[in-house]
Amino acid sequence: MGDILQKIYDMTALGNLIDQPQFLIMYALAFLLLYLGIKKGYEPLLLIPIAFGVLIANFPGGDMGVISPDGQGMVNVHGTMKNIYEMSLPEIAHDLGIMNFLYYALIKSGLLPPIIFMGVGALTDFGPMLRNLKLAIFGAGAQFGIFAVLLVASATGYFSLKESASLAIIGGADGPTAIFTTIKLAPDMLGPIAIAAYSYMALVPVIVPLVVKLTCSKKELSINMKEQDKLYPSKTEFKNMRALKIIFPIATTTVVAIIVPSAVPLVGMLMFGNLIKEVGSSTSRIFDAASNAIMNSATIFLGLCVGATMTVDAFLNWQTIGIVCGGFLAFGFSIFGGIMLAKLYNLFSKKKVNPLIGATGLSAVPMASRVANEIALKYDSRNHVLNYCMSSNVSGVIGSAVAAGILIAFLG
Amino acid sequence: MEDNFSNALLLMGVGLTTVFAVLFLIIGFGNLLIKAVNKYAPEEEKPKLQAADNKAVASIDPAVEQAIDLAVQQLTGGKGRAVKIQRL
Repeated sequence: MGDILQKIYDMTALGNLIDQPQFLIMYALAFLLLYLGIKKGYEPLLLIPIAFGVLIANFPGGDMGVISPDGQGMVNVHGTMKNIYEMSLPEIAHDLGIMNFLYYALIKSGLLPPIIFMGVGALTDFGPMLRNLKLAIFGAGAQFGIFAVLLVASATGYFSLKESASLAIIGGADGPTAIFTTIKLAPDMLGPIAIAAYSYMALVPVIVPLVVKLTCSKKELSINMKEQDKLYPSKTEFKNMRALKIIFPIATTTVVAIIVPSAVPLVGMLMFGNLIKEVGSSTSRIFDAASNAIMNSATIFLGLCVGATMTVDAFLNWQTIGIVCGGFLAFGFSIFGGIMLAKLYNLFSKKKVNPLIGATGLSAVPMASRVANEIALKYDSRNHVLNYCMSSNVSGVIGSAVAAGILIAFLG
Repeated sequence: MEDNFSNALLLMGVGLTTVFAVLFLIIGFGNLLIKAVNKYAPEEEKPKLQAADNKAVASIDPAVEQAIDLAVQQLTGGKGRAVKIQRL
């Protein structure tokens, strides 16, 4: 009888939980993230799969946690050291469980982030950017946070240059870009970086107003874009927007591919998704697949696998705290960089720009634009800046993908 | 650590310059595209909806007319236009 009870006890995870109570912290984190995703609606499409991935990865004996190899790629497989990069996928599935199989097949291979970018492209309208092309430059200003935090993190000496770059890319405010860069440069940091990136994106309605309040005056925030357009009307006319929208993704991919080829997996797929949307009825079936079935499937596996990388050993350390702080700094610096560029622009241009348009130069489409529009309306109820913000917001997606490409090209 | 910092500084200079250069190029190419499309592929003048029956046409809401026209454009990939709408 005693033997049977002992076997039942050994079968459960209770013994491991008593030996390593740190698991309970991971459950608390998973429950918190699930609460934020379900109840508060913070990025639920990603936060819920990530949180559930965290939960199932941290049950001892469940074999659902992603195993981090050491510097030489060695992992402990039931007491034997094996090089994970020399193992076949069926071997990984058999020896390390299905979550490791999914992670190495879909995430470590770099497959899913570009697939998600294709879906994002299919849901993006470059019309506002084309109508206000000049404003697209603020998408570059808002990449300042990435490079500023790269500098700060590397100066601390705590992060290597590759790790600093992975941490800094959170400032691009683009989940797939952050994940893609981290997979290439510091895969061990994938879990905390993905969580930080998506959490801060969900906190855009808090972070953007905070930085705007600290850096902009009432007078600057009251700059009415429509009145500026009336005072200094644009000479550009659009005789065939549809043709323009079809040619634009092709031209952009070509330009980016020539200058920063390492950004092509992201920018190329983004623009491909957009192209099949703009072509219209003749590609409506693949547009539908890219923006619905494929993107949704990719999102599920991306979320679960990223969550499963957050095991006790990988998450509960000082590095994670560094990532959370550094990510916030990168986010804040990016908004600050966009605002400062808008202020600089206003020094030299007769036609003034509301600094909120600079603030939306980080990705986080369209939430950043919606938040900026709400702020502008508080200062002037007729000042609808949404369309103007969308220009810098959409160009920010291209800007952050280009920045990621540069980091990968130099450090990868 | 000093090496890391100087490399990060270099990367900051190169990175920001490249991001600005790429977006400037996209803006430049975008402006050229707008001019080229306006010159070589302007959209054909939208033919006015033909009144098949004045009474029937008059009773159609302009917003509905526009929606039908847009739906036809969408379905035909921009090649087709609604030129005559008649209430049966």
